Amino acid sequence: MKIYDCVPGFEFDESVDFEISPAWFQDATHSVPPWTPMFGWFWINFCRHGMQYGAELLSLPTVKGWDWRFKDGGGYLALLVVKDPKERKAREERFRVAIKPFLEDFSGMWKVFVKEMMGRYDKLKALNLDEATNIQLLDNFEETINTCRRMWEIHMYMMYGVYTAFVLFEQMTKQLLGFDDSSPQFHKLMSGFDNKSFQVDKGLFDLAKKAQAAGLKDVFLSTSASNMRNALKPSQKGQEFLKIFDEFNEKESGWRLERMSEINVPTWLEDPTPAFAVIKMAIEKGMSYNLDEDRKKLEAERLATEKEILEKIAPEQRGWFKTILKLAQDCAWFSEEHNHYLDLYAHAMVRRSVLGVGRRFAKEGTIDSPDDILFLIPDEVRKAAINPDMFNLRPIVERRKADWQQWCKQGNAPAYMKEGFTFEDAMKGLVESMDPIALKVVVGSMPVARPELKADLFGVCGSPGLVEGMVKVVWTEAELSKIVKGDIMVAPSTSPSWTPVFSILGGVIVDRGASLSHAAIVGREYGIPVIMNTFEGTKVLKDGMRIRLDANMGAVYILEK
Amino acid sequence: MDIDLKEIYWLDELSKEYNDVVGKKCANLGELVKIGLRVPNGFALSVRAYERFMEETGLKEKVVQIVEKETKTGLDVDKDIDKMIVLSATIREAIEASDMPPGLAGEIGAYYAELQKKIGIADVACAVRSSGAVSMPGQMETYLNIKGESEIIRHVKKVWASAFTTRAIVFRIQNNMPISWAPIGIAVIMMIEAKSAGVILTVLPTIGDLDRAIVEGNFGLGESVVSGDVTPDSFVINKNEMCIESRSVAEKTKMVVYGDAGTAIGEVPSELRTAPCVDDKEILEIVRVAKDVERHFGNPQDMEWVVDKRFTFPESIFWVQARGAKYTKKDARKDDEEYVIDLMLQLFRT
Repeated sequence: MKIYDCVPGFEFDESVDFEISPAWFQDATHSVPPWTPMFGWFWINFCRHGMQYGAELLSLPTVKGWDWRFKDGGGYLALLVVKDPKERKAREERFRVAIKPFLEDFSGMWKVFVKEMMGRYDKLKALNLDEATNIQLLDNFEETINTCRRMWEIHMYMMYGVYTAFVLFEQMTKQLLGFDDSSPQFHKLMSGFDNKSFQVDKGLFDLAKKAQAAGLKDVFLSTSASNMRNALKPSQKGQEFLKIFDEFNEKESGWRLERMSEINVPTWLEDPTPAFAVIKMAIEKGMSYNLDEDRKKLEAERLATEKEILEKIAPEQRGWFKTILKLAQDCAWFSEEHNHYLDLYAHAMVRRSVLGVGRRFAKEGTIDSPDDILFLIPDEVRKAAINPDMFNLRPIVERRKADWQQWCKQGNAPAYMKEGFTFEDAMKGLVESMDPIALKVVVGSMPVARPELKADLFGVCGSPGLVEGMVKVVWTEAELSKIVKGDIMVAPSTSPSWTPVFSILGGVIVDRGASLSHAAIVGREYGIPVIMNTFEGTKVLKDGMRIRLDANMGAVYILEK
Repeated sequence: MDIDLKEIYWLDELSKEYNDVVGKKCANLGELVKIGLRVPNGFALSVRAYERFMEETGLKEKVVQIVEKETKTGLDVDKDIDKMIVLSATIREAIEASDMPPGLAGEIGAYYAELQKKIGIADVACAVRSSGAVSMPGQMETYLNIKGESEIIRHVKKVWASAFTTRAIVFRIQNNMPISWAPIGIAVIMMIEAKSAGVILTVLPTIGDLDRAIVEGNFGLGESVVSGDVTPDSFVINKNEMCIESRSVAEKTKMVVYGDAGTAIGEVPSELRTAPCVDDKEILEIVRVAKDVERHFGNPQDMEWVVDKRFTFPESIFWVQARGAKYTKKDARKDDEEYVIDLMLQLFRT
């Protein structure tokens, strides 16, 4: 092992890794911009572990999860396809038994897992990191590693099981009813479900209402989000508001990261600016949380659509069809809700513990500043954790930081492929794996260019509809504030913490995504058109352009440059 | 959906959406072609062809006049049966006696000529069948073994006329439909010279085993198997391994053949009675096609096949029906779960 490896054992190495797979795909949804070494270590190790754990526990017949490699801050993945027909058969037999709990009581399973994870988080939070001994701090760090690993086990086990049902349901609607997951009817069947992420958004909108009722509207309008706390402090009303705000943030919204898959930005608890920004935006733009109202409508539409399609299905086929419909619908809300309890929360915990160690290291002179810990990896933390004063890890930090800055500048390749192997070959391999997560989240359907439409950009429908509006390209959460009502947001992909802004958007265009990606799920709930997998939307479209977005056709037209 | 309205269509131009245009039988055959099944080749005369015929020959008005005349004093379905027999005979005679307008006759002739070319058989024998938009089973006639352009045209008129059989008229009166206007479609399709025929179910119906299919058949036409009148040959095939797991070859004494008018019961030649009516290669081809259709519709299928002795394998296998299979299920909820699991596994096999 070279000392500068970020993820020992999993650094991409052409000379050996092409034997495992001739193609390695960049996980553009999660590893752009490039990861810091510390976060890359967590993701590569445990997302990889979770996928293989989930695929194995379920005994998926065709795929044993994914293998992952780290290269220059990018995550690269390859599917572990089961090739031997005999082995597939043996896995099929085990799958029969393993999938049963999903069909019997999916939400019951999920409740148990949520309880387990919340228990783990509470235990981690119980330690005051700045008063803890070095040994306690290291213990907390190790337990955080275990928690993150466990999070990915639950994550991928649940996801593989329920996504299999979703893919099956989509195929069934195609065959029995003649529509697929890009059709409005399909989306109607999947809409009108509440989930925890939406409830948190609702809490923030309620706070906006309370602020206005307390006569704080002018304070919010005249103050920047980052200065809001100071502006509220002087008045009695302001202090009362801060008290309920802090309670809510601690309990509900605080354990969020702007970027779901990185830990180098503050949680909302550390810096509630984004939460204040949502409240400010809600007041400024007269937004109200209309999802409850909308949901009633969506629910009624869903039930009507269910009734309509069930009538088209022969009576003797309805029983199993309902079983699979139910699980596919579970998949729709789970896809959004799991982000809150799993990815966002667990990574917020990782940040909490890692920075706790970082502050200690900085204080003892191991590194210069607490954030420098992000350029170390757990083995190096262990090396210095009990006696940080005895070690100087600055040379590693310096070198890795320089590397990371270079990675961010250069960007990463979308794939590494063995010579003579084409992108089409690689896509074929992905499809053959029948890996439901690859199909529905990471890869998605490829857009079909239709010259006869004379559109400027093509993508795949994530949520149906047709809209015209002004482009706003958004790379980070900070840029959300430039959005006004009716704008069309263009982004590489969207993050769960961006959800509140969906209520004023006219439409969404993302470079990458599939029918179970965040943008598609939230877009459907808000009833706005979403186009995904345009690949170069963020390059082609510029702020201020007027465009027409026809999600049904997967087409974008530039009306005014 | 936009439907281009014509008088005559090839079967491969049709689909379920054409139900009202050409009638149910033609639309169903078109649907089978659309999902890639080899069905007996042929063409369909649309309701519009009937309308054109009735208008250009002046029959439309004439029939109205006949009906008005005969029903002047009222018509009671239960009492005036004689009156209705006269009415039926008068109208049918008028239709059959009218010449096909030259334009329409030319078109039918052209399609028949093209059909002969497509099949590669001169004066190919056809079945001329009625195809109503709503099914009124047995109320309209079917003519078998019709050869040559003029005979085809003559029988097309006979089918149109058959919409005015006494039974059909009674049906329309009872259902508050106009007596004088009875548009129907017609299917003109190649007659099969059946070596053997039968059914396939892509599920074992009694136990709901989705990994296996059952093929049953007899010599001659498929009616004997469909009606369950004879003990057919029966083969159980493992759909995944594509191997025949069990075979029971029955002693087959009777078979259904085409007679002068419709079908008749014939004797199976004695040297064939204990021989299987299909060979292994044919069985596996039947299963292969049925599996495709099952995958297309997403549920087990009940399909009817015919092997035509004039063609070489696999062009010899024709399909005349495909529909969802009915099969037994035990405990509904448990079975639904098992079935969903089967479907999931199927997903991983594609």
